[in-house]
Amino acid sequence: MKSRLISALIAGALCVTIPASKAAAQRSDSSRYDGQALRYESSWGSARIIRGADGPIVGTAGWFRGIDVEKVVAGSPAARAEARAYKSNSFRASVVETLGATTTVVGVVLAANGSNNAATPILIIGGVGAMVWGAQQFHTAFSALSRSLWWYNRDVVRASLSPPPAPVAVPTSQAEQGKRNEHPE
Amino acid sequence: MRRLFIALCATQLFLLGATTMSAQDSSYDENALRVESRLGDLQIVRGISGTVVARAGLFRGPRVTNLVSSSEPALAEAKVFERDYNPGQYMAAAGIALLGAAIGAARIPDLNNGITSGLIGSSVLLIGVGGFKLESAYRALSKAIWWYNRDLKR
Repeated sequence: MKSRLISALIAGALCVTIPASKAAAQRSDSSRYDGQALRYESSWGSARIIRGADGPIVGTAGWFRGIDVEKVVAGSPAARAEARAYKSNSFRASVVETLGATTTVVGVVLAANGSNNAATPILIIGGVGAMVWGAQQFHTAFSALSRSLWWYNRDVVRASLSPPPAPVAVPTSQAEQGKRNEHPE
Repeated sequence: MRRLFIALCATQLFLLGATTMSAQDSSYDENALRVESRLGDLQIVRGISGTVVARAGLFRGPRVTNLVSSSEPALAEAKVFERDYNPGQYMAAAGIALLGAAIGAARIPDLNNGITSGLIGSSVLLIGVGGFKLESAYRALSKAIWWYNRDLKR
């Protein structure tokens, strides 16, 4: 009789505890996501990285400027790999866009001055072409940034990050390759 | 017997916890959205596999409200995106077209200067207003996706 009573009490306690602990875990997950999850907003060619729905701006990235995204997402290896791709593409895009714009302006100025130089149309076409290619690189860069923040937020959900994310040692290329294999795109 | 029952309960509790965690992870991995841009096209992709679930066409924004309707705050932001994206695109495109017309008009020798100035002024205004609308739309899209991904695990 006593044994049955104890069993019934344990079963009753489980019925109460399990839903309550699940609800508490969900609340905890939501507040962790609210406080840590990142997103980016484009703003006239640059990207503001924001923590939370209306949270603080972590930094602004874009045209020859930017915070170290790799540092911001340091707690997530997959996010860090994408942040590196963002950084290299963004720098390349900035250089090519600047060169393209300068070449185009020089070409237009020469054409406006009535110069019959044969190089003028080449300058304009080459400049515009470089700008288009640079814009493409910017798109690639922002896609990498989007993926980086996606991976970072995924790890926030998994609660494998400790707030606030601190810079960590850059992994060896072999370790990184292993991670990439773990998360194939 | 009692010990067996307690052991079963403990195992059940452990398994339930593990299942809950795994379900949350897979929900994000499979369903969380993000914005990508391929060859200048705005795309919304889902999950690790990167399945394209919506894309912007010429003067037509991606249908975001259908995608994020499961989350109320996301839906509200998606409506702002759909309200501002198309007008922003139209205005910016019209502004660029007017700018081209203004440059063409400037090269016509006997044309009234007022026409050229009017065209340039209108084009700048249209590009500016269109740009602001597009900025507002992109901001709303970013929030909509953030809220949607946040509410995925509920």
